Amino acid sequence: MSIGDNTAGPLLAGRGLVKAHGATPALRGASVELYAGEILAVTGASGSGKSTLVHCLSGIVRPDEGSVTYAGRRLEELPEKRLSELRRTDFGVVFQFGQLVPELTALDNVALPLMLAGTGRDAARSAAGEWLERFGVRGQEELRPGELSGGQAQRTALARALVTGPKVVFADEPTGALDSLASEQVMTALTHTARETGTAVLLITHDAQVAAYADREVQLRDGAVAPLGVAA
Amino acid sequence: MASMSTRHILLGLLASGPSHGYDLKRRHDERFPQARPLAYGQVYTTLQRLVRDGLAEVEGTDSDGGPERTTYRATDDGTRELTRWAGEIAPPAPFVTNEIFAKVVASILSGGDPAAYLRAQRAAHMARMRELTAVKSAPGADLATVLSADFALNHLDADLRWMTTTAARLTTLTAEVDTA
Amino acid sequence: MTTSSLASDLRLAWQLTRGSDRREWWRVALTATGAALATGCALAAVAVASLRGQSRVSVGAGLLDQPGTRSGVVVGLLLLLVPVLGFLGQCARIGAVHRDRRLAGLRLAGATPWQVRRIAALETGPACLLGSVAAAVVAVPVLLGVWAEPTAAAWAGIVLVTAGVPVLGAVAGALALRRVVASPLGWVRRTRPRTGRGPGLLFAAGVLLVAVTGLVTLATASSGPYRPGPPPALLVLGVVVVTGAGAVGLAGATARLTGRVLAARARSAATLIAAERLRDDPWAAARTHAAVLLVTVVGTGFAGIRHVLLDILDSHKHLSESRSFYTAGLDLTAAAVVVALAVTLSGLAVGTAESLATRRRGVAALAAAGVPRAVLGRALLLETALPLAPAVLLAGTGGAVVGFAYALFADGGGWSRPWASLLVPVVVYATCLLAAATALPLLRRTAHPAELRYA
Repeated sequence: MSIGDNTAGPLLAGRGLVKAHGATPALRGASVELYAGEILAVTGASGSGKSTLVHCLSGIVRPDEGSVTYAGRRLEELPEKRLSELRRTDFGVVFQFGQLVPELTALDNVALPLMLAGTGRDAARSAAGEWLERFGVRGQEELRPGELSGGQAQRTALARALVTGPKVVFADEPTGALDSLASEQVMTALTHTARETGTAVLLITHDAQVAAYADREVQLRDGAVAPLGVAA
Repeated sequence: MASMSTRHILLGLLASGPSHGYDLKRRHDERFPQARPLAYGQVYTTLQRLVRDGLAEVEGTDSDGGPERTTYRATDDGTRELTRWAGEIAPPAPFVTNEIFAKVVASILSGGDPAAYLRAQRAAHMARMRELTAVKSAPGADLATVLSADFALNHLDADLRWMTTTAARLTTLTAEVDTA
Repeated sequence: MTTSSLASDLRLAWQLTRGSDRREWWRVALTATGAALATGCALAAVAVASLRGQSRVSVGAGLLDQPGTRSGVVVGLLLLLVPVLGFLGQCARIGAVHRDRRLAGLRLAGATPWQVRRIAALETGPACLLGSVAAAVVAVPVLLGVWAEPTAAAWAGIVLVTAGVPVLGAVAGALALRRVVASPLGWVRRTRPRTGRGPGLLFAAGVLLVAVTGLVTLATASSGPYRPGPPPALLVLGVVVVTGAGAVGLAGATARLTGRVLAARARSAATLIAAERLRDDPWAAARTHAAVLLVTVVGTGFAGIRHVLLDILDSHKHLSESRSFYTAGLDLTAAAVVVALAVTLSGLAVGTAESLATRRRGVAALAAAGVPRAVLGRALLLETALPLAPAVLLAGTGGAVVGFAYALFADGGGWSRPWASLLVPVVVYATCLLAAATALPLLRRTAHPAELRYA
């Protein structure tokens, strides 16, 4: 798969997305396109609708208006069951914190998506071990999330998001709770792996230094995509 | 930046042993990858000044089959000067030349579109930050490269944050500049 | 300092309760309900115990007429307190994580340990007071309707119980916070603290309390002319204490063992999640599960005894008393067992819902990652089903041994075997799963992405 291959059209596209939380509008007609293998940063101030955009694009939330197309399929036409399956097989998600099951070890957390897909426990654990090693979480496989450092926990979460070989990884402020050094390690691990495996990444961040790891940037302002300046 | 003179950097490079001008330039560019590369002429004149001030001296010449090259080494005075400079606190810049701010104000005064300018400037900053990030996260990048890229990234990031805040407050700024 | 700071503490407690979410109101409502149940049982026990000698009571089919059977009724009523206390223990856990964090925040803001304790007590006490007063308001007219002139002892007992329940509730609320008070930082840290055995100890303390009060009432009730013989009564109480404490320990130990064994062998994601959760905090389940065990033992044993007793009655060997005297006693006991089961199941349902609410962010994250809701639901049910299976089996066996032994040896022995009593553990187990399943609709709401925003 070639990286940033724009000729085939976007892999994932949200068009005219509108979504309100009660009376509070979060998205007012946002349109975003993500191409296969590219890393796209979505930036914007807090409250600009970044998280809601990710929730809509990943099929976690259905938009009030607008459409989301993934690989030629309209997500709004899929039943909840198929959406869950899609998130399990084609998407990976990483949040700022708190996504790991606190009672499971780092290794079992990474093995979890494989087990859900029907892989046997031993095979799932051995694959999970390889991914943890790839993300530099070595010697901590049997620790629980509460015993890991913030950076280790996030790298474990990345391993869990990528272990099923997804086409798109949604990372919502993946470094939001980390210091700059841990943040650098997490971002390097994410971008390297994504480029190696040709995984597209939708990276949500308010931090320009994190956004600089992406190939491209989209800025949200008040629930819509802000015009980007053209570099002179 | 004037105080961080090329003199001291060259003295520093000479501290590890005698060296000739071209070698000093090559080592400088390797060691400080994100800095502006040294011109050979600048290296040559700086070395001559160091010799004049007694901080460096000519070690000898060799040709090695090619053009003749002069090798320099640091004197004791030079080593002392280097130690003094390296331990000296760099004064926090008292005046920051802020070209971006000047352009925003000029744009307001001339009835231009400061918001569009800030967007374009932001895009340029981001593009440079992406380049620097690519350099520092390339496999096998050495620590010196990473650290100097980080230095530049943090400064660009500071500019960027300032631009974001300014863009959000342009209306108030315009009113203030116009009435003044 | 005392009066003014008490007033300000009360105001703070009120503000904290008012400012918190709907769950806090659930806690208040359920705690009040539990307190009302506890007060009701205790009031009935007090009223019955304060009767002296032979008397005619219009309710209870003559069971309350004689001191001997009366003490049995008192013990039965006090035993009912066991599941009620279990239920109250679960209610106290509603929003416990948030409350602990909130009070730890108060400590960090400079509140003294005593202030935090007082605020915690003031958050629980009034809810219990509400329940106990409500129960008293219902109980007193009923009592006056049945009993023309209650004795001074009865009135004193009523006042003592109505006032005592909220005080005990407040004390328990303050005690549960001892770790927050000792180390405020321990509870605001990101790492999840261990629940430990604190609640289990509280439960055991509650059982002990029941035993002691039971002992006292028995001692006074049996001072009448007819003595039922203190040794068996003491024995019964001793057994209750041992069984109560043992049940908590057994339930906890089974949960941990089940967790450990299954975690290593789990093949499916749902089993793995449930097993690791048990291994991580086996005592969370122990509180309600202990009450389930008691109900199973008593229920199975009672079903067996009832079967044999009815057999004996039908054989017309004893006609000295009316048959209805015995059947009324049996029916009353059966009703008590059913009430105990109902209370226990409510506690279980509350506990399951609470455990889900506490983990809502993690559940939402799993749902976002595409974990089907069915798997999450299965894990939730397995969490109840797994540790309960061996425990109920054991308790059912214990109860069955009592029933079958009775059939073999009572009144000369040789009565038909009470096979039907073996259905009791099965029914208890099934209803427990149903009770846990009531939390499933909550799962739908918890697995919502909006929960991802909460810390």
